[in-house]
Amino acid sequence: MVDKSTKAARGTVLCDNANMNLLKANDFVAESIRKKMAEMGILLLNITSSAGSGKTTLLQETGKRLKEEFKIKILVGDLETERDAERLREVGVEALQIVTGGICHLEGQMIVQAMDAIDLDGVDILIIENVGNLVCPASFDLGEDYRVTLLASTEGDDKPKKYPRMFFTSDLVLISKSDLLPHLPFSVEAAIQDVRDVNPEIEVFPVSSLTGEGIDKWCNWLREKAIAKRKSTTASV
Amino acid sequence: MHEVSLVRSILNTLEEQFSPEELQQLKQIDLQIGIFANVEPLLMQNAFEAVKETDGRYRQVVLHIESLPIKIYCEDCGVSSLVENYVFVCSRCKKPSNQLIQGTELLIKRVHFDD
Ligand SMILES: Nc1nc2c(ncn2[C@@H]2O[C@H](COP(=O)(O)OP(=O)(O)OP(=O)(O)O)[C@@H](O)[C@H]2O)c(=O)[nH]1
Ligand SMILES: [Mg+2]
Ligand SMILES: [Zn+2]
Repeated sequence: MVDKSTKAARGTVLCDNANMNLLKANDFVAESIRKKMAEMGILLLNITSSAGSGKTTLLQETGKRLKEEFKIKILVGDLETERDAERLREVGVEALQIVTGGICHLEGQMIVQAMDAIDLDGVDILIIENVGNLVCPASFDLGEDYRVTLLASTEGDDKPKKYPRMFFTSDLVLISKSDLLPHLPFSVEAAIQDVRDVNPEIEVFPVSSLTGEGIDKWCNWLREKAIAKRKSTTASV
Repeated sequence: MHEVSLVRSILNTLEEQFSPEELQQLKQIDLQIGIFANVEPLLMQNAFEAVKETDGRYRQVVLHIESLPIKIYCEDCGVSSLVENYVFVCSRCKKPSNQLIQGTELLIKRVHFDD
């Protein structure tokens, strides 16, 4: 990066394109994950949201419905506990907890290590439940095919403008806990408009893990992507 | 976000590029941070102060942060425009665009040494 002259540095030294190592290193790792997933034909999803927006509950419902059809494994990021992985195992989905020890996001390197710890043979869909936080996880590419962000009806519809980077980098937004909408001042139309200001062509629809609203639609979306991923791999072999 | 690790990573980058003797003369670091980088300049300054406290070598160094606005490129018009209030549309034809050309930077732009 910096012009390494033989003279001692004096005055002002220009450092063109000296991207800070932290993120550069992550992008490199993410690319290697993406390559591996392409070779294996595994659909990789990164699920993000604020804390408590219903990620684990949605994945429980997803597992219940799709586990006979696809081999699904889940990596769950959490600051301290093993609880979410246990909840997923309770419904019969293989899950590995990644305890970040206080780090507020998952990084590519953590995913690489977690992948080494599980058997990926025959897996169709690998889902990463990110740490509940809309800020930091937005900046860390995990090599995913799709980033799916949950925006809960309990959170307020102004989130897209508060956390634009996350919504800009997402491929699908689910308005979760839609069963509570009748009791809350949340406007689905306003939320969709704000998401689309940031990300014009993105698909947005409501889901409820409690009543099942939108869950079939979500499972169909997932099924379609998983089948397409498998096809793209067999086509290129 | 992870401002302290970013500060550490800046210093590591500089430590790779310059000798300890040179770094003793370090006076100022100029960063460029895009407003879409999810890094708060104020938190970055605080993190830098905290790192200075624990690492005496950088006590004399000032951190200068320049914020860069978000810019997108419109293929139809061939022009770039500033994104205001996170509405990602071309300022000329109003068509949506997600081609970011500025705003996610985390750059060490310049470093200043004592002469
Ligand atoms: N009413 C309602 N409550 C829900 C729904 N989905 C989840 N919840 C509740 O919301 C709370 C948080 O749900 P989780 O699935 O643990 O949320 P999470 O996003 O995984 O949380 P973290 O991993 O801690 O960020 C729980 O008490 C759930 O029972 C839903 O569709 N409707
Ligand atoms: Mg969870
Ligand atoms: Zn245009």
